[in-house]
Amino acid sequence: MLACGQEFEAGHRPLGETRVLTVLLIVHSLMAVALLGAITHQTVGVWWPAKKRTGSFVSSLRSVPSMTYTNAVIVLFILTMIVGSIIYTEYRVSIRVTLQDYRMYVPEGAFELKEHVASIALGLLPAYWYYWRQSLSQDRATTRAMVTTLVACIVWYNFLVGHVVNNIRGFGS
Amino acid sequence: MSIARAFPVFSAAFAVIYLACVQYNLAPFTYHAELMQWGLGAQPPRQGPAMYWYGWLTTSTLGATAVAALSLAVPASLAKRVWPGFVWLIPLGVIAVFVYILRGYFLR
Repeated sequence: MLACGQEFEAGHRPLGETRVLTVLLIVHSLMAVALLGAITHQTVGVWWPAKKRTGSFVSSLRSVPSMTYTNAVIVLFILTMIVGSIIYTEYRVSIRVTLQDYRMYVPEGAFELKEHVASIALGLLPAYWYYWRQSLSQDRATTRAMVTTLVACIVWYNFLVGHVVNNIRGFGS
Repeated sequence: MSIARAFPVFSAAFAVIYLACVQYNLAPFTYHAELMQWGLGAQPPRQGPAMYWYGWLTTSTLGATAVAALSLAVPASLAKRVWPGFVWLIPLGVIAVFVYILRGYFLR
Protein backbone atom coordinates (compact mmCIF):
# COMPACT_ATOMS: atom_id res chain seq x y z
CA MET A 1 0.00 0.00 0.00
CA LEU A 2 1.27 3.48 -0.81
CA ALA A 3 0.33 6.46 1.34
CA CYS A 4 1.86 9.96 1.39
CA GLY A 5 4.78 8.73 -0.71
CA GLN A 6 5.73 6.10 1.89
CA GLU A 7 5.21 2.38 1.56
CA PHE A 8 3.30 0.87 4.46
CA GLU A 9 2.90 -2.70 5.60
CA ALA A 10 -0.56 -4.12 6.17
CA GLY A 11 -0.37 -2.72 9.70
CA HIS A 12 0.73 0.83 10.34
CA ARG A 13 4.52 0.87 10.27
CA PRO A 14 6.48 2.08 7.22
CA LEU A 15 7.94 -0.87 5.32
CA GLY A 16 11.53 0.36 5.82
CA GLU A 17 11.05 0.44 9.57
CA THR A 18 9.60 -3.07 9.53
CA ARG A 19 12.64 -4.31 7.61
CA VAL A 20 15.01 -2.73 10.13
CA LEU A 21 13.10 -4.38 12.98
CA THR A 22 13.23 -7.73 11.17
CA VAL A 23 17.00 -7.44 10.71
CA LEU A 24 17.41 -6.48 14.36
CA LEU A 25 15.27 -9.45 15.42
CA ILE A 26 17.51 -11.79 13.39
CA VAL A 27 20.65 -10.20 14.89
CA HIS A 28 19.10 -10.50 18.36
CA SER A 29 18.37 -14.19 17.74
CA LEU A 30 21.87 -14.95 16.42
CA MET A 31 23.55 -13.25 19.37
CA ALA A 32 21.22 -15.13 21.72
CA VAL A 33 22.33 -18.43 20.14
CA ALA A 34 26.00 -17.52 20.63
CA LEU A 35 25.30 -16.46 24.23
CA LEU A 36 23.38 -19.66 24.88
CA GLY A 37 26.30 -21.75 23.62
CA ALA A 38 28.89 -19.87 25.66
CA ILE A 39 26.98 -19.87 28.95
CA THR A 40 25.96 -23.53 28.54
CA HIS A 41 29.59 -24.58 27.93
CA GLN A 42 30.68 -22.61 30.97
CA THR A 43 27.96 -24.03 33.20
CA VAL A 44 28.71 -27.61 32.18
CA GLY A 45 32.42 -26.98 32.67
CA VAL A 46 31.94 -25.51 36.13
CA TRP A 47 29.65 -28.28 37.49
CA TRP A 48 31.04 -31.27 35.66
CA PRO A 49 34.70 -30.59 34.80
CA ALA A 50 36.60 -33.35 33.00
CA LYS A 51 39.72 -34.55 34.78
CA LYS A 52 41.13 -35.97 31.58
CA ARG A 53 40.19 -35.18 27.99
CA THR A 54 39.39 -38.38 26.13
CA GLY A 55 38.44 -36.92 22.77
CA SER A 56 34.73 -37.75 22.98
CA PHE A 57 32.12 -35.03 22.43
CA VAL A 58 30.99 -35.09 26.08
CA SER A 59 34.56 -34.99 27.35
CA SER A 60 35.34 -32.05 25.05
CA LEU A 61 32.23 -30.24 26.28
CA ARG A 62 33.23 -30.77 29.93
CA SER A 63 36.87 -29.85 29.54
CA VAL A 64 36.45 -26.30 28.22
CA PRO A 65 38.42 -23.68 30.15
CA SER A 66 35.34 -22.05 31.70
CA MET A 67 37.07 -18.84 32.70
CA THR A 68 37.77 -17.88 29.07
CA TYR A 69 34.02 -17.58 28.40
CA THR A 70 33.39 -14.90 31.03
CA ASN A 71 34.08 -11.76 29.00
CA ALA A 72 32.38 -13.20 25.92
CA VAL A 73 29.25 -13.98 27.95
CA ILE A 74 29.15 -10.46 29.39
CA VAL A 75 29.66 -8.74 26.02
CA LEU A 76 27.13 -11.01 24.26
CA PHE A 77 24.57 -10.54 27.04
CA ILE A 78 24.83 -6.75 26.91
CA LEU A 79 24.71 -6.61 23.10
CA THR A 80 21.76 -9.02 22.97
CA MET A 81 19.95 -6.95 25.58
CA ILE A 82 20.61 -3.66 23.76
CA VAL A 83 19.19 -5.01 20.49
CA GLY A 84 16.35 -6.68 22.42
CA SER A 85 15.48 -3.40 24.12
CA ILE A 86 15.17 -1.72 20.70
CA ILE A 87 12.84 -4.36 19.23
CA TYR A 88 10.95 -4.56 22.52
CA THR A 89 8.99 -1.46 21.50
CA GLU A 90 7.54 -3.41 18.56
CA TYR A 91 6.47 -6.17 20.95
CA ARG A 92 4.62 -3.66 23.14
CA VAL A 93 2.95 -1.88 20.24
CA SER A 94 1.97 -4.75 17.93
CA ILE A 95 2.63 -8.22 19.30
CA ARG A 96 1.39 -7.97 22.88
CA VAL A 97 -1.91 -6.54 21.64
CA THR A 98 -2.36 -9.59 19.42
CA LEU A 99 -1.64 -11.95 22.31
CA GLN A 100 -4.25 -10.11 24.37
CA ASP A 101 -6.79 -10.16 21.53
CA TYR A 102 -6.43 -13.92 21.20
CA ARG A 103 -6.42 -14.37 25.00
CA MET A 104 -3.01 -16.05 24.90
CA TYR A 105 -2.32 -15.34 28.55
CA VAL A 106 0.49 -17.86 29.10
CA PRO A 107 2.79 -16.56 26.31
CA GLU A 108 2.02 -12.99 27.38
CA GLY A 109 2.83 -13.75 31.03
CA ALA A 110 5.93 -15.70 30.03
CA PHE A 111 7.16 -12.68 28.05
CA GLU A 112 6.42 -10.34 30.97
CA LEU A 113 8.57 -12.60 33.13
CA LYS A 114 11.28 -12.63 30.45
CA GLU A 115 11.47 -8.83 30.66
CA HIS A 116 12.00 -8.97 34.42
CA VAL A 117 14.44 -11.89 34.61
CA ALA A 118 16.54 -10.36 31.82
CA SER A 119 16.84 -7.20 33.95
CA ILE A 120 17.83 -9.24 37.00
CA ALA A 121 20.46 -11.11 34.95
CA LEU A 122 21.81 -7.78 33.69
CA GLY A 123 22.22 -6.69 37.29
CA LEU A 124 23.93 -9.99 38.11
CA LEU A 125 26.71 -9.47 35.55
CA PRO A 126 29.02 -7.45 37.85
CA ALA A 127 28.89 -10.25 40.47
CA TYR A 128 29.33 -12.84 37.73
CA TRP A 129 32.47 -11.05 36.53
CA TYR A 130 33.74 -10.61 40.09
CA TYR A 131 33.48 -14.30 40.99
CA TRP A 132 35.04 -15.47 37.74
CA ARG A 133 37.89 -12.99 38.13
CA GLN A 134 38.72 -14.73 41.39
CA SER A 135 38.53 -18.16 39.79
CA LEU A 136 41.79 -19.33 41.31
CA SER A 137 40.39 -19.18 44.84
CA GLN A 138 38.36 -22.26 45.62
CA ASP A 139 36.54 -20.73 48.60
CA ARG A 140 34.13 -18.97 46.25
CA ALA A 141 33.66 -21.90 43.86
CA THR A 142 30.08 -22.66 44.95
CA THR A 143 29.00 -19.03 44.67
CA ARG A 144 30.62 -18.79 41.25
CA ALA A 145 28.85 -21.93 40.08
CA MET A 146 25.47 -20.79 41.43
CA VAL A 147 25.71 -17.31 39.86
CA THR A 148 26.72 -18.88 36.54
CA THR A 149 23.84 -21.36 36.73
CA LEU A 150 21.33 -18.62 37.50
CA VAL A 151 22.51 -16.56 34.52
CA ALA A 152 22.41 -19.71 32.34
CA CYS A 153 18.86 -20.57 33.43
CA ILE A 154 17.72 -17.02 32.67
CA VAL A 155 19.39 -17.06 29.25
CA TRP A 156 17.74 -20.42 28.42
CA TYR A 157 14.33 -19.24 29.65
CA ASN A 158 14.56 -16.00 27.67
CA PHE A 159 15.69 -17.82 24.55
CA LEU A 160 12.83 -20.31 24.67
CA VAL A 161 10.15 -17.71 25.43
CA GLY A 162 11.46 -15.43 22.68
CA HIS A 163 11.40 -18.36 20.29
CA VAL A 164 7.81 -19.30 21.20
CA VAL A 165 6.53 -15.72 20.93
CA ASN A 166 8.32 -15.36 17.60
CA ASN A 167 6.54 -18.50 16.41
CA ILE A 168 3.19 -17.03 17.46
CA ARG A 169 3.66 -13.56 16.01
CA GLY A 170 7.10 -13.14 14.47
CA PHE A 171 8.62 -13.17 11.01
CA GLY A 172 6.09 -12.98 8.22
CA SER A 173 3.03 -13.11 10.46
CA MET B 1 40.79 -1.46 48.88
CA SER B 2 39.26 -2.80 45.69
CA ILE B 3 36.09 -1.33 44.21
CA ALA B 4 35.35 -4.77 42.76
CA ARG B 5 34.32 -6.11 46.15
CA ALA B 6 31.19 -3.94 45.88
CA PHE B 7 30.08 -5.75 42.71
CA PRO B 8 28.23 -8.59 44.50
CA VAL B 9 26.45 -5.94 46.62
CA PHE B 10 25.44 -4.13 43.43
CA SER B 11 23.94 -7.32 41.99
CA ALA B 12 21.91 -8.19 45.08
CA ALA B 13 20.74 -4.58 45.53
CA PHE B 14 19.84 -4.26 41.84
CA ALA B 15 17.38 -7.16 42.04
CA VAL B 16 15.63 -5.80 45.13
CA ILE B 17 15.47 -2.21 43.83
CA TYR B 18 14.20 -3.43 40.46
CA LEU B 19 11.38 -5.27 42.20
CA ALA B 20 10.48 -2.08 44.09
CA CYS B 21 10.62 -0.10 40.83
CA VAL B 22 8.15 -2.45 39.14
CA GLN B 23 5.84 -2.66 42.14
CA TYR B 24 5.71 1.09 42.79
CA ASN B 25 6.41 2.22 39.20
CA LEU B 26 9.53 4.21 40.07
CA ALA B 27 10.35 5.28 36.53
CA PRO B 28 12.18 8.60 36.04
CA PHE B 29 10.96 8.66 32.45
CA THR B 30 8.36 7.01 30.21
CA TYR B 31 8.58 5.98 26.59
CA HIS B 32 5.40 6.25 24.53
CA ALA B 33 6.23 3.64 21.91
CA GLU B 34 3.38 4.36 19.51
CA LEU B 35 4.18 8.09 19.43
CA MET B 36 7.96 7.52 19.77
CA GLN B 37 8.04 10.15 22.51
CA TRP B 38 9.83 10.30 25.85
CA GLY B 39 8.30 11.91 28.91
CA LEU B 40 9.63 12.79 32.35
CA GLY B 41 8.43 10.68 35.26
CA ALA B 42 5.93 7.83 35.20
CA GLN B 43 3.28 9.13 32.81
CA PRO B 44 -0.04 7.48 31.97
CA PRO B 45 -0.39 6.07 28.43
CA ARG B 46 -1.19 8.72 25.79
CA GLN B 47 -1.69 6.71 22.64
CA GLY B 48 -0.74 3.04 22.70
CA PRO B 49 1.28 1.56 25.54
CA ALA B 50 3.48 3.57 27.91
CA MET B 51 6.80 1.82 28.53
CA TYR B 52 8.37 2.19 31.97
CA TRP B 53 10.96 -0.61 31.68
CA TYR B 54 13.81 1.67 30.54
CA GLY B 55 13.11 3.92 33.50
CA TRP B 56 13.01 1.00 35.94
CA LEU B 57 16.42 -0.13 34.68
CA THR B 58 17.83 3.37 35.15
CA THR B 59 16.46 3.72 38.69
CA SER B 60 17.72 0.26 39.61
CA THR B 61 21.20 0.96 38.24
CA LEU B 62 21.48 4.27 40.08
CA GLY B 63 20.09 2.84 43.31
CA ALA B 64 22.29 -0.26 43.23
CA THR B 65 25.34 1.89 42.47
CA ALA B 66 24.58 4.03 45.54
CA VAL B 67 24.14 0.94 47.76
CA ALA B 68 27.33 -0.63 46.39
CA ALA B 69 29.26 2.62 47.00
CA LEU B 70 27.97 2.74 50.58
CA SER B 71 29.01 -0.88 51.11
CA LEU B 72 32.62 0.13 50.49
CA ALA B 73 32.50 1.98 53.79
CA VAL B 74 32.12 -1.38 55.57
CA PRO B 75 35.54 -2.75 56.55
CA ALA B 76 36.67 -5.62 54.31
CA SER B 77 37.24 -7.87 57.33
CA LEU B 78 33.60 -7.43 58.35
CA ALA B 79 32.29 -7.77 54.80
CA LYS B 80 34.04 -11.13 54.45
CA ARG B 81 31.84 -12.54 57.20
CA VAL B 82 28.68 -12.05 55.12
CA TRP B 83 27.56 -15.24 53.41
CA PRO B 84 28.40 -14.83 49.67
CA GLY B 85 25.41 -16.98 48.71
CA PHE B 86 23.15 -13.94 49.13
CA VAL B 87 24.40 -12.76 45.73
CA TRP B 88 22.42 -15.52 43.96
CA LEU B 89 19.80 -16.25 46.61
CA ILE B 90 18.40 -12.69 46.65
CA PRO B 91 17.93 -12.47 42.83
CA LEU B 92 16.43 -15.97 42.89
CA GLY B 93 13.99 -14.86 45.59
CA VAL B 94 13.10 -11.77 43.56
CA ILE B 95 12.38 -13.98 40.53
CA ALA B 96 10.09 -16.10 42.73
CA VAL B 97 8.23 -12.93 43.77
CA PHE B 98 7.82 -11.96 40.09
CA VAL B 99 6.40 -15.40 39.31
CA TYR B 100 3.93 -14.85 42.16
CA ILE B 101 3.02 -11.34 40.93
CA LEU B 102 2.46 -12.65 37.39
CA ARG B 103 0.63 -15.83 38.48
CA GLY B 104 -2.65 -14.49 37.06
CA TYR B 105 -1.35 -15.04 33.51
CA PHE B 106 -0.66 -18.72 34.17
CA LEU B 107 -3.70 -19.63 36.28
CA ARG B 108 -6.50 -18.44 33.98
